[in-house]
Amino acid sequence: MILTAAQVVAVTLIGGLVALDATSVGQFMISRPFVAAALGGLVVGRPAQGIVAGVVLEALHLAVLPVGAAKYPEGGPPALAAGAVYAANFPPVAEAATLLVAVLVALALEMVGGRSVEAMRHWNVRFAGAPPEGLAPGPLARRHLAPVAVDFARGAVLTLAGTLLLCWLLRAIDFSGFPEVAIGSILRLAVVAGLASALRLFGRGHWPLFVAGAAAGVVVAWLG
Amino acid sequence: MSRLGAGVLARMLLRSFAVQGSWNYQTLIGTGLAFVLAPALKQVYEGDGEALRRSLGRHTELFNSHPYLAAVAAGAIARLEADGSPPEMVTRFKHAVRGSLGTLGDRLVWLMWRPMSVLLGVSLVLAGAAWWVGALAFLLVFNALHLWMRAWGLKIGLRDGLQIGRTLKGVPFPRMGDRAAQAGALLAGFAAALAAAGRGSHPWEWGAALLAALLGISLGPRVRGAAALAMALALVAGLVLART
Repeated sequence: MILTAAQVVAVTLIGGLVALDATSVGQFMISRPFVAAALGGLVVGRPAQGIVAGVVLEALHLAVLPVGAAKYPEGGPPALAAGAVYAANFPPVAEAATLLVAVLVALALEMVGGRSVEAMRHWNVRFAGAPPEGLAPGPLARRHLAPVAVDFARGAVLTLAGTLLLCWLLRAIDFSGFPEVAIGSILRLAVVAGLASALRLFGRGHWPLFVAGAAAGVVVAWLG
Repeated sequence: MSRLGAGVLARMLLRSFAVQGSWNYQTLIGTGLAFVLAPALKQVYEGDGEALRRSLGRHTELFNSHPYLAAVAAGAIARLEADGSPPEMVTRFKHAVRGSLGTLGDRLVWLMWRPMSVLLGVSLVLAGAAWWVGALAFLLVFNALHLWMRAWGLKIGLRDGLQIGRTLKGVPFPRMGDRAAQAGALLAGFAAALAAAGRGSHPWEWGAALLAALLGISLGPRVRGAAALAMALALVAGLVLART
């Protein structure tokens, strides 16, 4: 086991809170992959490693929009699990390959999470659908808060499943001989493509600003 | 102004953070809106339990809005209820505002402000700042607008009631969105260049990064699937190569 039992419990409970933050309660955006993965790293004492996984996942989550009743992948709990396990495994035998596995598992879990949100919203109709003739404040609060408890449990289970799956995979895969440089390059290119895709949100007409920002980035990288 | 006390408003504001708690495909955030309104309605219908029950039941009907701007609707509805407006008028008002409150918030917050704030945090981390500087910068910038929208929304909703549409027309949300889009485009380019120049990058990678950026711009949200496929293929190739 890469994480201790206490760390797994902590990550699981935070996973429930992160799932709530995405929609049900708060929306302070601790559920963004960028922040959730850092929180995962923080649980195991290596937030700087956790946020590395977060940056990759965030780049690929930037253009996901929760507009209206849209169906979308859920970024928070998978990123939390990926950040925690990747950071707990640091320094790995093969850094890029380990990150690649963590990111791919998180991306798959994001789809599972999105489907589970959709199923929960159908299920919530039992609690909060069909407006009644009259409703006292107590029963109203119960109708409203029961789905919140379900969402917490859903997020916790998703995070636990992701954490255990990733721990098992990282122990099962033999990373010796992996082409680290090539895999590192592919990860970097995926991040570049993801970050650049944000220009579509802001409007492609802003391309001169995008180019100016890129030029500034090249200068900063060169100076650094 | 309404007869609602400061304690009631504080409870409404606090409850507004959970307005989407019972999101469902039948009434969307209808039950959540009633949950936010409950403290105000308890005061308005004090001593008349049946009227309170009927009012809470009515407000669980279908409603949708951007979650941060739901506070505007909650404030305005509380004002109408406190003023003794007929239920039919309150229902018509809810139908009238729900579309515009959704569109306004979605465009400003989800489409512009949040990606811009995230890119700020990511840029800082890629530029070498500590993890917490990037995360904190994102959370502070994003939540500055978020918290303001909730508190301001409840306040102007209560103040303006039926006239809220006129007030919202005067709010510079489109201009704020445009500014956020400009800053976001700049930050997207900045972050993409820093990501391309990461530790251990090779000269050929700059050319590949340019192609990746162009691909990302042309694919937009579909870049996610393309990147996942490329990474999965890389993992399979790595597994094969490691065994040979």
